[in-house]
Amino acid sequence: MVLACVFLAPAVSRAQATDDDPASLQLAEPDFNLIGLPTTLRLPKFGSSFRVTHRFTRPLNDDFGDVLSDFFGLDTGAQIGLEYRFGIIRNGQIGIHRTSNRTIEFFGEYSVLRQAQHALDVTALFTIEGTNNFKDSYSPAIGAIVSRKIKDVAALYVEPIYVNNTNAEPAELVDHNSTFMVGIGARIRIRPTVYVTGEVAPRTGYKGAVSSTSEDAVTHGSFAIEKRVGGHLFQLNFSNAFGTTMAQIARGGPVENDWYLGFNISRKFF
Amino acid sequence: MNIRLIRILALVCASAAWSACDEKLSSVAGPTPNLEPTFSSIQHDIFESTDSSGRTPCMNCHTNVGRNPSGGLNLAHDVAYDQLVNVVSPRLAGAVRVVPGDVNKSYLLEKLEGSPGIVGARMPQNGPPYLTDGQISIIRRWIELGAQRN
Repeated sequence: MVLACVFLAPAVSRAQATDDDPASLQLAEPDFNLIGLPTTLRLPKFGSSFRVTHRFTRPLNDDFGDVLSDFFGLDTGAQIGLEYRFGIIRNGQIGIHRTSNRTIEFFGEYSVLRQAQHALDVTALFTIEGTNNFKDSYSPAIGAIVSRKIKDVAALYVEPIYVNNTNAEPAELVDHNSTFMVGIGARIRIRPTVYVTGEVAPRTGYKGAVSSTSEDAVTHGSFAIEKRVGGHLFQLNFSNAFGTTMAQIARGGPVENDWYLGFNISRKFF
Repeated sequence: MNIRLIRILALVCASAAWSACDEKLSSVAGPTPNLEPTFSSIQHDIFESTDSSGRTPCMNCHTNVGRNPSGGLNLAHDVAYDQLVNVVSPRLAGAVRVVPGDVNKSYLLEKLEGSPGIVGARMPQNGPPYLTDGQISIIRRWIELGAQRN
């Protein structure tokens, strides 16, 4: 009911402002995230945005009849995330993202450079997440989101991010306790309100192995098609991992390298 | 510009302040909170001592004091290392008690975990309680790091 109220509320998009106005519609960068990785899109001061992430846990690369009988995973469980972000200062935003495996992530972003004045958009990113409703293992992350928009057609992203304590084991018991990853992504506008998006997050350091003798988890990868409707963005995605927080993305996906169906829905309030 | 830099630095410092968030080794070690992945620690906390779970010390049986060491393994302080590392088990052909750096070929771990294929009982002999997963993971780490005499 709450979700219905949130998403059915009328959208207000102000496209008439100047290029440096964070409230203006950015045709090449319509949302605050690609699929799991963040973008350089700014929030106006006191503006906000809400997002739902949903990753079905039924692998798609299975017998087609079985996949179809499970309706491509819709009959199975899912990892669900709810996110809210708020423009706390000019060019700065904070937010909270909770996933259904009881991980809570707090994050902050600050736009340092903008393409209107420089060649690139650069945003500083800070996150801290904790498992068991932010009571157990904490994983802080720091990084930069670098983007380049190509007219109103495309946006390219490179995101070097360091995630501390991605491995929940004590440092004395593991070779790698942290992860450095470089998120690489792109969003291409193929129709006036339709986009295709892709991202991958190659990494070094801890790569999600369950134990010292087990295989590393696969590198996070995802692609999607999405439709912008006013202040909403509806995205259908295909991923080899369920991660939507920085440490989850750094840990990667199941070693079987299966692919999963999912969707994101986001809604702006400004 | 200065205000912007101050804000960024404040955020960086706040983030860095969180950067010592590893789980404590003592929380993994459970009933032996001082256990570390070193031989001297394993000797003291596992071989020679009981713990809060009531586990039997290994040296109750693996000693030459008043008896023959069980399984031909003497874990007395001065000889334990030389009885374990790169030493073939007399009970199972080809099994080496501890192979430095190779947790998959170290028979000691199989005996502690009660793996299929071991000869005799899971250790400790009269368990449960056995070693916890955390205690075993610390011994595994000592082997993984080269099973040094440290």
